[in-house]
Amino acid sequence: MMRFLFPRRTSSLVPNYIIVLLLVIFAIGPLVILVFNSLKTPADAGRNLIGFPREIILSNYPRAWVVGQFGKTLPNTLILVAGTVVATLILSGMAAYSIAKLNLPGSGILTMYMLISSSLPIQLFLVPLFFLWRKLGLVNNLLGLIIIYVATNAPFSIFLLRSYMIQIPSDFEDAARVDGAGEWDVFQRVVVPLAWPAFLTVGLVVGLSVWNEYLLATVFLTKQELFTVVTSYYNFSTAYGGRDWGLTSAGAVMMIFPLVVLFLLMQRRFIEGLTQGGLKG
Amino acid sequence: MNLMRRFVIVLVVATLLLASCAPSSTQAPASQQTGGTTESGQTSEKKPTITLWLDSGGDATQLQCMIDNIVGNFNKKGNSFTVEAQPLANSWDATRTAITGGGGPDIVITPGPSFAYEMAKAGQLLALDQYAQEFGWDKQFLPWALSLGKVDGKLYSIPHEIETLVLYYNKTVFEQHGWKPPKTIDEYLKLVEDIKAAGLIPNAAGNSDWKPADEHYWSIFVNHMAGPQKVYDALTGKIPWTDPDFEKAIDTMNQLFMNGDFMGSLDRYYTTKSTEFLTALGDGKAAMAPSGTWWMGTIGNYFGEKANNSNDWDWVPFPTTDGSPLFTLGIGSTYSINAATKYPKESAQFLTYYFSPEAQSISITQCGIAPAPINLTTQQLKGIDPRRARLIEELSKAAANGQYGYTTWTFWPPKSDVYIYDEIEKVWAKQVTVQDYLKGLNDLFQEELKAGNIPPIPERK
Amino acid sequence: MGTLIKKDLSSPTRPKITKQFFYRKVIPVLFVLPILLIHMTVVLGPSISSIYFSLTEWNGIGPAKFIGLANFQKITTDRQYIHAFQNNLIWLLFFLTIPIAMALIAASLIAPLKKGGLFFRAILFIPYILPSVITASIWKDLLHIDIGLGGVAARLGMPFLNIAYFGRTDTALLAAAFVDNWHWWGFLMVLFLTAMQSVPQELYDAAKIDGANRWNEFIHVTLPGIRPTLVFMLLMTGIWSFLAFDYVWITTQGGPAGASELLSILVFKNAFQRFNAGYAAAIGLTMSFFAGIIIGIFQILRKRGWEI
Repeated sequence: MMRFLFPRRTSSLVPNYIIVLLLVIFAIGPLVILVFNSLKTPADAGRNLIGFPREIILSNYPRAWVVGQFGKTLPNTLILVAGTVVATLILSGMAAYSIAKLNLPGSGILTMYMLISSSLPIQLFLVPLFFLWRKLGLVNNLLGLIIIYVATNAPFSIFLLRSYMIQIPSDFEDAARVDGAGEWDVFQRVVVPLAWPAFLTVGLVVGLSVWNEYLLATVFLTKQELFTVVTSYYNFSTAYGGRDWGLTSAGAVMMIFPLVVLFLLMQRRFIEGLTQGGLKG
Repeated sequence: MNLMRRFVIVLVVATLLLASCAPSSTQAPASQQTGGTTESGQTSEKKPTITLWLDSGGDATQLQCMIDNIVGNFNKKGNSFTVEAQPLANSWDATRTAITGGGGPDIVITPGPSFAYEMAKAGQLLALDQYAQEFGWDKQFLPWALSLGKVDGKLYSIPHEIETLVLYYNKTVFEQHGWKPPKTIDEYLKLVEDIKAAGLIPNAAGNSDWKPADEHYWSIFVNHMAGPQKVYDALTGKIPWTDPDFEKAIDTMNQLFMNGDFMGSLDRYYTTKSTEFLTALGDGKAAMAPSGTWWMGTIGNYFGEKANNSNDWDWVPFPTTDGSPLFTLGIGSTYSINAATKYPKESAQFLTYYFSPEAQSISITQCGIAPAPINLTTQQLKGIDPRRARLIEELSKAAANGQYGYTTWTFWPPKSDVYIYDEIEKVWAKQVTVQDYLKGLNDLFQEELKAGNIPPIPERK
Repeated sequence: MGTLIKKDLSSPTRPKITKQFFYRKVIPVLFVLPILLIHMTVVLGPSISSIYFSLTEWNGIGPAKFIGLANFQKITTDRQYIHAFQNNLIWLLFFLTIPIAMALIAASLIAPLKKGGLFFRAILFIPYILPSVITASIWKDLLHIDIGLGGVAARLGMPFLNIAYFGRTDTALLAAAFVDNWHWWGFLMVLFLTAMQSVPQELYDAAKIDGANRWNEFIHVTLPGIRPTLVFMLLMTGIWSFLAFDYVWITTQGGPAGASELLSILVFKNAFQRFNAGYAAAIGLTMSFFAGIIIGIFQILRKRGWEI
């Protein structure tokens, strides 16, 4: 039977599938349970948090949407994510290109600086930073927070982009330079398309880190109309958690669902970028 | 292309001009406004706004009720300014960071007098004596409570929410087993054994959502076993914390925790949220819950039809060694005015309203918030649960008779307070002995006492 | 003199040199400058002022009092600090082994799959995209005593698994690390997979001709092929493990009895709860020092010619 289903060439991959499937259950099982809990009545959830709902109720969702104020907080989060990702890709991409391809003088010192600074705990510079931002009028300002996010995400972005760009053969750029292209054109027209998968990975990582960021968002955005999805969810889950389980689970599912869908869509482009990156061809 | 670029430049310049004009154009009506508030109905006018940040971590309906019915009411009165209440998660951390940076809300709420004390010392709060006189606060508040807000003789903060620690119990379960609410510590300890023998959890408790909950139990056992006089003597530096009476009290508490008499076992205690332990009490899985009166307004939700059980609750003062009633007092939060505010007088005006019998009556009866230390008539408490009314009545009687003790979060200096709940878990984990624990506390406390960081302790009669 | 230089500049050879200088030195700097300025404003400036605060006694609110190196002296005898440091080492060991191993195994199992490879990669990545607040609260409930997975295990005849994982001094730290890893390893896996897929197929074909089995292939082709990514991620894991905060804070807040306290938790508690902002700054600096050691190792490897 197995032989029939899996021809000889792939039959050695059956253990692969089994182990990977177990890992899939490990990764996704908790989320399935979360969805189940979002359909339970509070009493049902309090009795068992694992397993199917005894009766399915959908009313947790509209309630969570209203109580969690998602309609007000979603635009703020989207502005923060878009602003940070675009600025990071451009600015960190430029820096990575300079380090990887342009023999930047003092690039060793810069690498060192970025590595050390990425090891600083946020709490260490939080209060002085707040003081400065307050002076500059950047508190309670989405742009002010975007600048902070661009900075805190810079080391990772630069390193990842750089280590990808190093692998790109210089022939492409040299060809463009011979054709008379300036460095900006080389970066924009040659390196960015070739390093596209790395840019996509960085965009994904940075975008998610901004979407999920909690500490800085609470400190720098104190006005309710500027709350992000995460900060307002935290408010809402501390107020209802442990009691109205269906409600907080429904809120969580609503936060996760668009993320997962968006990710799966971006994932497809990510894979396309890899196969069309021109590195293998 | 060129045209487009020019258009953009014009647009940017125009925006900048508008932005720089904006403050002056809003200033004009604001200054006119001080002359008279007759035009307050007009929408074109911009009133000054004063802000306060409320913590959204607690009960959401209480918070909304306060915003709608107290702040909302105040704004409807046609004042020359509006008050904006912003709900905030971890509002205290945000407040501290903001104020250190020179900003923050106009009205500063802190988690207790010792926090307000630190800020006052750092010059971040406004001295309120002028307004206390102008608005008659000395008559409005109970004198002992107002004295808690004084630093070097000046008033910097107003206490809000008088709290005390009581013993809640599941009345239905008690009746079923023929148990009587305990009066003395010995009765209480005996009852704990009986409840365990009946297969129930003696004390519902947990600190998963509020780690400092450890100090609630600490405050209870130290005050109710060693007695408030001893605690007062230690707080004023007359006796050390290594006194054998304190050791005995802590030992008794530790035995209960290590035996699992709180929530079944230590690991359960550490992973149980307050909503969960109240549910356990309501459902009759646990028989008692020594805890704060901050649950009085909402504990009813865990009993009866609302909670799918047929149980009822009641409370007694937590037992004492000799059986006389004792209320260990605390202040839930304090209200102050930011030293950097542009509107000190307006802020004081709102505080006067907020602590007025009118607003406090709404706060207690409609929102279920614990009472502020002000004089209220029975008329103003009409319609509240009789068990809450009894508490307010007994509490003011006890306070007048000197039958009160001291909660750690109100009367201990900040570092000692943190030590109390942080390090006690190491004693429970058998990493530190009770003697070493108390010695460490005493060293830290004497250091803070010497530095003058102790909030004012009301004298005993 | 001045006129001479002017003359030189106008001669045909000179501009070429300055132009070359412009290309070699100025342009690379211009590419780096914007992000560098932003980063210095946000991180470097405020961090330097924190170095000052580490030399002070400061309650986080009022003025700071200069006390020299007293905070660093205190660190050497602080039991809490030493305990937290040990926990950080356990954390480091955990994250240098378990997630890396899981990610390597999964990536090398998925890489050869003709069908479903892309699907698995996407699915296994999903935990990484969840906010820490949600991940932690999901697992707090899954690991809840009685009503969580422990309760299920007890019903299946394994009552010893029904414990409050976040409430015991012997399990709290590992439970928090487990939750952090649940969201983390999938991300690592995708990075490794990406690297593995750029290893030329010819190398595998050549290995097959030499009669290599899958283990040999992994050791001799895959691992060297993904070495830059692997070493880079080991390095980043080393650095990040000293900064770990979110998951521990949300699940246990460092408790019970300090059993899951990490250095970052100590910084937070000292800065925001214990009125010891100066001491917190000092602890933060030592954390950076440990990360610096890891960076030093990285630099040595680079000097030895590793391309990372």
